[in-house]
Amino acid sequence: MSSKTSFIGAVEIGTSKTSVLVGEYTGRELAIIGYGECPSRGVVKGTVVDYKAASECAHHALESAEQSAGERIDFVFLAQTGSHLDGFYNETSVNVKSADNMVSMLDIDTVCGLATAKELPQGRMVVHNIRRPFRLDGRVVPGSPEHLVGRRLEAGYWIVHGQENKLADAIHVIRGFNLPVRELVLSSLAAGHMITTQEERQAGILAIDIGAGTTDYVLYRDGGPYLTGVLPVGGSHITNDLSLGLRLLEGQAEKIKIHHGRAIVAPGAKGDKVWLDGDFRIGDRQFPRQTIEQITSARCWEIFEVVRKRLGTQFSPEKCAGGVVLTGGASKLPAMAECAAKVFGVPAHLGEAPSSVSQNLRDPGYATALGLLYYGLSSQAESSPRQPRRKAGFLQRMFSGF
Amino acid sequence: MLPVSELPLDQSLLTDRTIDIKLVGVGGAGSNAVDRLKMDNLDRVQMAVINTDLQALSASPVQEKVLIGSSVTRGLGAGGDPDIGREAADTDRAKIAAVVKDQDLVFLVAGMGGGTGTGAAAVVAEIAVEQGALVIAFVTMPFTFEGGRRAKQAEEGLQALRRVCDAVIPLPNNVLLQEAGENESVLDSFARADEWIGRGVKAIWAMLLRTGMINVDFSTLRQAFQSRGGKTLFGLGSGAGEHAAAQAIDSLRHCPLLTTPENARKADRLLVNITGGPDLAINRVKELMQAVTEEFGMDSHVVMGAAIDEAMQGRVEVVVLGTTDLGGRGRASVRNPVNAVRVKSKEKEPVAAVAAPTAAPSPAPVQAPPPAVAAPVAGPGAAMSAAVAATAPSLLPKEAPAPAPSLFAMPASSSSSSSAHKATAGEPVAQNEFTFGEQESRGHFENTDRNLFEGQDLDVPTYLRKGIKLAF
Repeated sequence: MSSKTSFIGAVEIGTSKTSVLVGEYTGRELAIIGYGECPSRGVVKGTVVDYKAASECAHHALESAEQSAGERIDFVFLAQTGSHLDGFYNETSVNVKSADNMVSMLDIDTVCGLATAKELPQGRMVVHNIRRPFRLDGRVVPGSPEHLVGRRLEAGYWIVHGQENKLADAIHVIRGFNLPVRELVLSSLAAGHMITTQEERQAGILAIDIGAGTTDYVLYRDGGPYLTGVLPVGGSHITNDLSLGLRLLEGQAEKIKIHHGRAIVAPGAKGDKVWLDGDFRIGDRQFPRQTIEQITSARCWEIFEVVRKRLGTQFSPEKCAGGVVLTGGASKLPAMAECAAKVFGVPAHLGEAPSSVSQNLRDPGYATALGLLYYGLSSQAESSPRQPRRKAGFLQRMFSGF
Repeated sequence: MLPVSELPLDQSLLTDRTIDIKLVGVGGAGSNAVDRLKMDNLDRVQMAVINTDLQALSASPVQEKVLIGSSVTRGLGAGGDPDIGREAADTDRAKIAAVVKDQDLVFLVAGMGGGTGTGAAAVVAEIAVEQGALVIAFVTMPFTFEGGRRAKQAEEGLQALRRVCDAVIPLPNNVLLQEAGENESVLDSFARADEWIGRGVKAIWAMLLRTGMINVDFSTLRQAFQSRGGKTLFGLGSGAGEHAAAQAIDSLRHCPLLTTPENARKADRLLVNITGGPDLAINRVKELMQAVTEEFGMDSHVVMGAAIDEAMQGRVEVVVLGTTDLGGRGRASVRNPVNAVRVKSKEKEPVAAVAAPTAAPSPAPVQAPPPAVAAPVAGPGAAMSAAVAATAPSLLPKEAPAPAPSLFAMPASSSSSSSAHKATAGEPVAQNEFTFGEQESRGHFENTDRNLFEGQDLDVPTYLRKGIKLAF
């Protein structure tokens, strides 16, 4: 094996399951060689609440992934979600220094340095610095502005930050398995990267990953992430609504959700009833299909509505030609895309992994883990030159002490 | 609105269609508050006091005094026992019915925690509702230092009242204690409680009787209280001078009648009435409305009223009245159509007798909320709300009134509806009580951080928060 080959573990500690993918990266090609999964415990709404239970699951998943790959994982890309993550936009501009008004690398470094220098409150740390395209004299520059002529260079960053101790919790879980975390990637970015194409990102697209505990969204514009967000509401809320509304156990509600839930009330199914178990056992009950759909659709509608409200004026159908793309376990609910299309007023579809991905990993539930590998690698490749896109180094410094 | 046979309008008809408002004080505290309001001479408001204590009654300046439960207490008061209060009211239902008969709006004033007020108020409210009145109760909650037993009784009394009244506005005396000065006497404190109740009553009274630029009338008020048992939000504030609007909002926030936790201060239906002097600027109205809607409204249905009062030069007063569908299990039951159209007993001409049924279709929209309101689905699309609306009448036969025309076919409908109502009032189990903030069920997420967005806890099922009626 050449020294350049590395085995990367992409870990997503989700609310419903912890999944690990092992990728073999030769420096130019990525092959997925192993996979491990374990139902999560100790994670609520995307945040680790029971360290012991969560790390047991994660370790189990890591172990089975290593077994299936037949190799040891070298380092880990870890997906991050949870309500503690937040983002803001920070923008600065500098006057181009040179006499002939040609932008130099120094100008670019200065403006980027200034734009990311924003101090965070105590206990918060940066997860991602996502740069929006540069602007030179107010006009958008798609690539690097180096050697272009202009007077004023502007750069804006969407800065994603999270609570230090919560991030540390998740990293701790992995470190407990004696693996270094090379990179923290926002779940939304990972999943979004997987289900959107470069063309769609250029045209503008909103990717929404509805997981069990959280809904992660990222709005792409001009070819890159424009803003991101986490809403701590997901599929488990739909289950919870059902279990409260129909007075069911959580497991039963989950089953009802999967079999009969819909994101939009189906027309014409008024008198229809469904059985809880359908096996004619004592205690089996009937529920009107409409009630189930009312409960689930109200929640689905609300999830999209809240996302839309949070995006506010940043989202406009004109600048989102790609529409909405959905992924995550809860997006499998029937009519979910239809519901999203209605709320956002743009076309919506379910995201699909590229055809290069093997069939059994194309379930929407695996989009994040897959994206972790691809996005993590691509951003690493990007960050190796002078332009650090994120502060991976900083993170490593932070946590190498643990 | 009027049946053809009654057109053209003549003077006697017009005067007869004013609304009858009665202020009823129950128990010692309630009577005291009414006595005090008596001094203010609210025109067109009749007053009555109901008590078990003969001595207290005889001291009252109010004309209409009703002693209840003389067989139970021998006129000596309920002795702080709500059961005796309730029993007393039960034995004299006929007397109480006579007091609240033919009223459109009954303000019930009572002090919770004692015997008569706590026990009898709910019975009085129930009877008033049976008689077809809209019942708004103002109740004082005892000071904490009055002891745990009183607090418990008060809480139970409040819940019983919430079940039967259209709106219950509690005034915790404790809040008054916070703003009391160092040397304020107990008497002063109680007086201040009465004063606030008085202001509350006056505010609603003024809203109804003062004709405004943008008028809020009785049916608007009635519409606001379609769902009984839900939470009520009530507050008033006033301001003067240059920053009157800002001041009014500020004092509204501190109104002791508005005692709900911050995150519950949202209403589905909001009634806002603004009173100002002739110098009231439209911009100021706009400013006020925006602030109020922001503070208390959701996607709510906001009804605005504005009135001009010569005496209010340079001042502005805001009254906010909000109701929520949440927890209000079911719409207010069908009101007796004869009462809904105020056909007075003295209108004995045959025309009036015919008028009652013919007029029935017109008040129907008031009794039966239009489907769109019945399912305030801010969310899941027209398709869904249409579906809800379509099924609602068939699924909720008891709550949704029969379409008006069928009143002819079913002469018994009014009596059956009132008996149906009696059942709801009498069975406490039939309705789930909703108290602010704490009883929202979060199920699986019970012990996690609250998930607040725009004042709502997203962990609580959406259908509960949006008041979507589940079809069962």
